[in-house]
Order: sequence, then structure tokens, then C-alpha cells
Amino acid sequence: MLDVHLDSWLREFGPRRKEKLEADSVEHLLDALEQQYPRLRFKIRDETGSLRRYVRVFVDGEDVSGTTGVMTSLSGARTVDILHSIAGG
Amino acid sequence: MPGDRKVRILVGTRKGTYVVEGDPKRVKWRVGPVAHAGSEIYHVVADPRHPGELYAAVNNGFWGPMVQRSRNWGKTWKEIATPLTPGGKDRKPAFNEENPSVPVQRPLANLWHIEPGPNDAPDTLYLGADPHLLFRTSDRGASWEPVESINEHPSRKDWSPGAGGPCLHTILLDPRDSQRIYVGMSAVGTFRTDDGGRTWTPKNKGVMAPFLPNKYPETGQCVHHVAIDSRDPDTFYRQDHGGMYVSHNRMDSWTRIGKPLGDDFGFGVASPPSDPGRAYFVRLDGMARVTGEGHFQVHEWNDSRRAWRTLVSPKAFPGHFGVQREGIATDNLDPAGIYVGTTTGQLFMSPDAGRNWRQLPFQLPGIHSVSVASPEAG
Repeated sequence: MLDVHLDSWLREFGPRRKEKLEADSVEHLLDALEQQYPRLRFKIRDETGSLRRYVRVFVDGEDVSGTTGVMTSLSGARTVDILHSIAGG
Repeated sequence: MPGDRKVRILVGTRKGTYVVEGDPKRVKWRVGPVAHAGSEIYHVVADPRHPGELYAAVNNGFWGPMVQRSRNWGKTWKEIATPLTPGGKDRKPAFNEENPSVPVQRPLANLWHIEPGPNDAPDTLYLGADPHLLFRTSDRGASWEPVESINEHPSRKDWSPGAGGPCLHTILLDPRDSQRIYVGMSAVGTFRTDDGGRTWTPKNKGVMAPFLPNKYPETGQCVHHVAIDSRDPDTFYRQDHGGMYVSHNRMDSWTRIGKPLGDDFGFGVASPPSDPGRAYFVRLDGMARVTGEGHFQVHEWNDSRRAWRTLVSPKAFPGHFGVQREGIATDNLDPAGIYVGTTTGQLFMSPDAGRNWRQLPFQLPGIHSVSVASPEAG
């Protein structure tokens, strides 16, 4: 089971606490989250399926947003953090 | 609450939605509900068919575009359905095979304008968005359908973005005929449908595109905004990148009226329901994109006399002010109230068709849009 943590701004649309979920990739993890919390749809990903520009996804502490993105495998992973990135001054 | 006598200025800013409430005489004003903290609000509008209902085009830098609705004049808001780019419903990632990090399909970017539909279709609204998209809802925003006839118009291959992106920002309805609709896009121009959106025809004849090799193309003009005349819905006032124009024939042709002003660049234009035959423009320096004279000014076009008049004393509000395409609006009272929001957050207002002006004594964030919910409009 993965420990999934969303930052406080995203909790307006999703889980308020850490969520425990099973998924084999970031894409499928987001699918499961959106299934459970429909208001998360299109907040983390746009309708093309790619991560929004100012969203960061960390798998076991490593930022995968600009590399493998939603295609990142979660095999063997323990934690996923979904955060908004620093934007602005 | 619904049906009360307040005049409400609905202000979309770079940092949220502000509802400024005034009395029917438009003397006392207070900043009322504030919402959507941190989001760019490109447009807020009241639906006059359902008193108390407001719609906001919310563009959040982190979480993307959202449509939100209030049913109590802005005190509380709720996210409703957001339109998707055509083909986006299935939500299947479409990535470039050679570079998997690049999506093939361009996602919906900013929402620009929400237009309540005709009175005989009280649950219909239209929405204009980036990239060059028009949507329609028939269930008050529970779902949206792309208007493919304009979104996939044969001329689309020639459409280009303006500086604000590829946006569909202007939607106008003929109050006599719900089948006739007009849209404006940057840098594409205006289009008209006479059959409820089945077919669309470019309507830019006579409008100059100074930035193209062909100065008078069928499409490619950078229309900034258009206002419809309330007495004669065949008449339109247009602020274009290429100047200020009027049309008296449902946009079949346009005549430039701004030349006597010199530089007739600008973004916003409004025409008051209580004073038809007039239009208000905020002329800007074409290079600096602010009021070039060194003070705030509004120019009134009198269409029957074909004459211009300045409405604001040059000494009243010194400075350089930017005003965006939705930055000027009128109410439907008599005499007309005129409201102008600036990119630096000043809200100027006249309660008497431009004779007297004041500034709201409250500094707002940079203003994208101003619209008005007057008592008669609900």
C-alpha cells in the first residue's frame, strides 16, 4: 500500500488526510484518486492526461514531474507526495 | 438578496472576485463579498434570468480553469462543470511518440467570457475559452458541449493567437433573434451565425489588420472587444487592434470612426442600454498600452451625430492607466452608470453618463473585468 499525501491547497478538492492506495503507476494512482474524489479531476492533470505545469509529484521523495511524469512506475514505492510548486517571486 | 435594489459591480481581478455593492442612486458603495483568493478571474457575470446567480471564469495558476457559480450574489460559490477541449472527454493521454513528455492535444487554458443565453432558453449559457473555443450549456453549467461549427471552422488553420493567447473573448446575442449570435476571437476577428450556430461566417470587412501583409483579410484581425447597441441590435461598436469601428449592418461591414482621436488603440468598449446610440471607449497608447495623455479618460462616441466627446476632466485622475477588454461596463439605469477598472486596481465610476466621476476608495488587485448587475436586471 502506498501512503499518498496531498498538500493543503489540494485538500479543498481531495482527501484531508493521508490516503492509502494501491497502484502500479502514477497515472493509475491519479485515476484511483479521481475516482474517489471527483473534484480532483483536471486539477492535477489537464484533459490531455499530463501533469499541470505547477504540480509536483514526488515518489519516495524524488520529483518525477519533469521526467517520467504520469508514466512513473510505483513498483516497490512506499510514498507519493503531490504538491504545488513554487511559483512567483 | 434576489430581487433587491442594490447595484452590484462584479469585478474580476488578478487575485480573486470582488462584488462592490451600491445603492440605487449609486452614491454609497462598499466592497462586499470577496472570493476565489489567488485565482485570475477573467470574467464575472450575473444571469439576469435568475436573480442572484453569478458565474465566474476562474483561472487558477496551479489547478487550471474552473467555472464557478454563486446563487446568493457572490456570498458563496460552488464549482460547476468545466468544459473540456473537444476529444478530452475520454481522458486518454495522447502523447507525442517521439517525446512522451509532450502532449499532442492542447488542453483548455484560460476561460475568458461567460454569456447568459436568450430569455426563451433560460438554462442556456455560452462560454468562450482558450484555445479559440466556444461552448454551450443547456443545463446551467451541469455540462458543456463544444460548438464544433465554429471551433472547427474551415478557416481555423489560419487562426493565430493575440498577445493574450488564442482566446474567444466576445459573445453577443441578438435580443430579437436567438438564432443570431456573434463571437470575437484574437487574432482572428468576428463571426456571425444566423442559424443558431450551425454555420458561421467571418464578419471583418473593412477592419484593418496592420500587422499582416494583406491589410484587409477575411480573417486575422485582432478584435479586442465589441459592444452591441441596445436600441438597434444591427449596430455594433468595435475596439480592434487596428482602431475603433462601427457597423450598422450586423457586422457585414465596418467603418473606422477612431481616426479623429489620433491613436485609436484600446481594448474595452461598452454601450449603455439607457442611452442607445452611444459607446464608451478607453483610448490607450498603442505602444505603452496605458492612457497616453497622462490621465484617465473615457471617449464617448455619439453615433447619430458621428462625433466624439471626452468625458473626464484631464485634471481629475492623473497617471497612466491600463484597461483590459472587459474593463469597461455600464449599468442599465437612467442616466447610465459607467464603470472602468484598471490593470493597477483603480475602479472609476460615473453615476450620470459621464458628467461626474469618482474613484472607489478601495485599492483592488489588477482588474481584468467589470460587469454590472443592476436592479432591473435582477
